[in-house]
Amino acid sequence: MSEVLLKIKDLCVSFDTDDGVVNAVDGVSYELRKGQSVAVVGESGCGKSVTSLSIMRLIPSPPSKVLGGEILLNGENLLEFSEKKMHSIRGNDIAMIFQEPMTSLNPVYTVGDQIVEAVERHQLLKGEAAWAKAVDMLKLVGIADPDIRVNEYPHQLSGGMRQRVMIAMALSCDPKLLIADEPTTALDVTIQAQILELLRDIQKRNNMSILLITHDLGVVAENADYVVVMYASKIIERAPVEALFAAPAHPYTKGLLASLPVLGSDKERLETIEGSVPDPLNFPSGCKFHPRCSIGCKDKKCQTQEPPLIENGYARAVACWHARL
Amino acid sequence: MIKRANKIKLMHPEWGRSYSDMVSNEFFKSSINIASLVFIIFLFAMAVFAPFIANDKPFVIKIDGVLKFPLFASLSGVDYSTLLAAIVGVVLFLLYRRNRKRVNPSIRGALWAKQVGIGIVVLIVGIACLIALVPSKLDATDYKSKLESKEASFAIFPIVPYGFERTSICEREQPPSKKHWFGTDDVGSDVLCRVIHGSRISLSVGFVAVGISGIIGVFIGAVMGYFGGKVDFVLMRFVEIMMAVPVFFLIITIVAFFPRSLLNIMIIIGITGWTGNARFIRAEFLKLRKQDYVQAARALGLPLHSILFKHMLPNGIAPVLVSATFGIAGAIFTEASLSFLGFGVAPPTPSWGQMLSQGVSATGHFLWWMSLFPGVAIFLTAVSYNLVGEGLRDAIDPRLRKAA
Repeated sequence: MSEVLLKIKDLCVSFDTDDGVVNAVDGVSYELRKGQSVAVVGESGCGKSVTSLSIMRLIPSPPSKVLGGEILLNGENLLEFSEKKMHSIRGNDIAMIFQEPMTSLNPVYTVGDQIVEAVERHQLLKGEAAWAKAVDMLKLVGIADPDIRVNEYPHQLSGGMRQRVMIAMALSCDPKLLIADEPTTALDVTIQAQILELLRDIQKRNNMSILLITHDLGVVAENADYVVVMYASKIIERAPVEALFAAPAHPYTKGLLASLPVLGSDKERLETIEGSVPDPLNFPSGCKFHPRCSIGCKDKKCQTQEPPLIENGYARAVACWHARL
Repeated sequence: MIKRANKIKLMHPEWGRSYSDMVSNEFFKSSINIASLVFIIFLFAMAVFAPFIANDKPFVIKIDGVLKFPLFASLSGVDYSTLLAAIVGVVLFLLYRRNRKRVNPSIRGALWAKQVGIGIVVLIVGIACLIALVPSKLDATDYKSKLESKEASFAIFPIVPYGFERTSICEREQPPSKKHWFGTDDVGSDVLCRVIHGSRISLSVGFVAVGISGIIGVFIGAVMGYFGGKVDFVLMRFVEIMMAVPVFFLIITIVAFFPRSLLNIMIIIGITGWTGNARFIRAEFLKLRKQDYVQAARALGLPLHSILFKHMLPNGIAPVLVSATFGIAGAIFTEASLSFLGFGVAPPTPSWGQMLSQGVSATGHFLWWMSLFPGVAIFLTAVSYNLVGEGLRDAIDPRLRKAA
């Protein structure tokens, strides 16, 4: 196995709101190896985006605060870096692509201008050389006529092309880690497939690690090597992708997988998980999933004691009193 | 309103059309906007060329068989600097248009930055040299009497052959006539000449004051909007304190303490008028900092000044640009009011407001021509600035027009 690139240890992030303190991320730990893709899945508001923004140190502070934990990139704790040092990490070692390609590009500059700015900032290229690099990057992400497109403004491009431009921008400085925060949510399915394939290609070529944040299990199955499932600001299960899809351990993961439509089955209605995500100001006692769980809603232990995340030694871990690995 | 067809032809249709291209396209669709802009350009031309339009010195005069150029000799370094600034401005504007049509966008930005840099250097060096080198000499020769007494055989005078400092006891308080188109004031100066020279004061007050308030407002607003939190809270309370101060009375008080100079008036109008701009920029930045492209710029590790002023400001500057055009009209009004009340520029330097106040003479007569012509000048200037501002606002955000 390749060496560890990013290691998150017991990360806790809280938000001060008018109604009280919200623990958006509570004791999250996982690691990412070189060339590996890790997917973080979970419902909206479960803390997956906050985790990724914490890695970039881009969470707005105040209202949010990192209470504890470590984020180690190549063994160095990013949380202890000065803002100046973070500037050289962002875009250079870690790059990020966002959910909404329609709004992720600055409307007043040509796409070339925006790629060139990143290139000039992090690489020793200036002027014509930087422009040549921008055209190369656009070619790499599969944009036709890159030398014409480089002079166009974002509003002249389609959603898929903009996302390609975003990827080109993120990859222009050869980052070691790419954080993709729901990169395909806003795109239609064919474009989605193309973008994901592009990411896989580039990952292989550059031996880059990808942290994929999504709630699309189809995307996870196709692209991730390892899956982290989050629920109510905690990790409830993590496992290699094959193992997770073959035998989900946590009732929540089981529910998620059961809710996927299966091609060819003649089911009338899809399975759902009853109830909705708990209010972060008012988490249920014990296991946070117990009110929605078929076992937990009857079990006294589930209702009073919070299950720890227990590892089994085969890179799998689950936080449930009733799960057997 | 006559809608014009899209007249800007793109030489290279494959080059993208920038936001500013689209805004200017939209702006020039309305003939009212064009007319207002033309009038403002005309005012600027009048201000820059004031000494060539209204001057008691002839361009050329032949005295005892020798050709002399008293007008050019009498111009001060400031007059020449104004001319130089106008030339640099026009050249830069032409270069900008040329760039847009002929230069590939990939090198356009760098080229434009270089051109502006050269322009600014030329301007600064030129002004320094001109002010240092051009001697200011007083030429009190009455060339007109020389022409009349046949001492000089030949002379070409400007269209309005009077200086703004000219006084004449026998031509006091004369209504408009063939000799003095706009009449004369209580010391016998030609009103037309003083209106023309007064445009310099009004336009420079408008521009410098709004420039100062714009820079302060944008800077403080950007800091408030981007950082938010405590910084925003403290600065916002400061803005509110500033807004609670009755500005006009503050200006009158300050002007009473400091010497009556144009520069003081400009600075005071500027440093009291930034609160509106700061609030506009703050509101825009609060909205923009949550935008994905600002997050993306941060995620790319771009430095703070680049995020604030390169990525956020161009997207949030529109309301400030619009309010600046209204602000120019406001500053012209403030200067006119101050001068009207006698706190403004001191005579003989002409200013429209000051002339307006002389409409009622010391003898108690109402001299209508003394009030009408400067008043019309103030009115037309303010109206055209407001129309340009309105046109700009509609061009920047066409949805606003539908809502209105």
